[in-house]
Amino acid sequence: MNTRFSNKIDVIDNSNMNQHVDDDDDVTTSLDPLVDEVSMLQLGDSFFPTGMYTTSSGLETLFYDKRIKTKQEIIEFITVCLQYQIGPADCAALSNAYDFAKEENISKIIEIDHILFSMKLIKEIREASIRSGRQFLNCLLSFVPDNTLISLYYNSIKNKAANGIYPVALALASNSLNIKKERACLILLYGFTVSITGAALRLGMIQHIEGQQIIHELKPIMTTVLNNNIKRHFSHLWQFSPSIDLVQMKHERMDSKMFIT
Amino acid sequence: MTFKRIPRVGIGGPVGSGKTMLIEQFVPLLSQIGYRIAIISNDVVSKEDADRMRRNLASERGLMPESLVIGLATGGCPHTAVREDPSMNLSVVEDIESAHNQELDLIIIESGGDNITTTFSPALADYFIYIIDVAGGDKYPRKRGLGIENCDLLVINKIDLAPHVGADLKIMERDATLIRKNKPFVFVNCKTGEGIKEVADNIVKNVLFELPPKTTTTKN
Repeated sequence: MNTRFSNKIDVIDNSNMNQHVDDDDDVTTSLDPLVDEVSMLQLGDSFFPTGMYTTSSGLETLFYDKRIKTKQEIIEFITVCLQYQIGPADCAALSNAYDFAKEENISKIIEIDHILFSMKLIKEIREASIRSGRQFLNCLLSFVPDNTLISLYYNSIKNKAANGIYPVALALASNSLNIKKERACLILLYGFTVSITGAALRLGMIQHIEGQQIIHELKPIMTTVLNNNIKRHFSHLWQFSPSIDLVQMKHERMDSKMFIT
Repeated sequence: MTFKRIPRVGIGGPVGSGKTMLIEQFVPLLSQIGYRIAIISNDVVSKEDADRMRRNLASERGLMPESLVIGLATGGCPHTAVREDPSMNLSVVEDIESAHNQELDLIIIESGGDNITTTFSPALADYFIYIIDVAGGDKYPRKRGLGIENCDLLVINKIDLAPHVGADLKIMERDATLIRKNKPFVFVNCKTGEGIKEVADNIVKNVLFELPPKTTTTKN
């Protein structure tokens, strides 16, 4: 080893390898909790490769149909998606999968994977979620190669016993990197919000400053959705947004479009 | 998810430079040899390119199953979809590799039309063809850009238009030689097929390594 860098490398190794159980909430953390916070930033960053920038959740159709024009209407659309689709379904599934990850219960994790997959009514959205989840795991395994549970889940996907749906993949990844459950849920809700806001920006509906205003205004919605769903049992997952379902179905059939639905 | 990698060629270039037509020209030459091919077309705002190739190469000529010409929406980010975050493309590639590993020889990934900085992630493409056209002016090669400089094969299309737009092919040849530091480039006319065999030969030699097709029962 090059001696000029050896001390520095030792420090990094120590902070990554040594872990302890947090007394407050029974969560395993690194000795340097900031490492866990950086991991949260990493998974929540749009730079992390999940392909989610390719989806608009039907916003593109609403834009072309001139049913959404203003910043406030975009906020309302994202709010409805969070409250009636992503919160009680994806976020709650993530929370349950996270709990079962702590118990290393792979069969329950796969059960949640199947339940959430079956709840996604729109084929393109269903497929986009499993494409994101699988590629997310592919990337994660390149720097977290020795996590038994993730390997089991990954092999289940390979053997077609599981789907690899994104919220479940994110739950397992967050658990493996000592990211607390509520923060993992925030990554999901924030990531969804940013992907739709980004779609609005690229469609020319808003400019970049307005994009940040939208995200800021939606912060209390994200936390409310989190609090309303983080304790939801997996037998009570739900979503109900028939009007948005129809918009997304229409988008799926558009000949000319920028986004996967 | 983990299957034997099928060789992949990425094709990038500006809007209207001839990416789709280039594919439509060299795929039949490779099919004649017996190679079996799948195409993923990243469209920026439509499925038109994928639909056209599916009709021309699959439906009408039977060179591949219609299901192996796949259109992909990229959220208005064509370069992101093939470089910074190629997740969706990789996922489609993996689906193809898992279902057709035994018989497929080559996967072509067409980028959406983009600017001269386009490159492909090495995780996505093994060989990168960048195409520009003469109508953009004979200054194009010396404007550099990652695509023009770094691609494995630079294709300069629409050479028939040179006299009509005041472009000097000798200047383009001189600049391409200088800027690409002996890496290959080829002048083509995708309308007539001129120069296309050289593109196909490059793929056979540098991507398929002149190996025989996995199967020789291609429908023609």
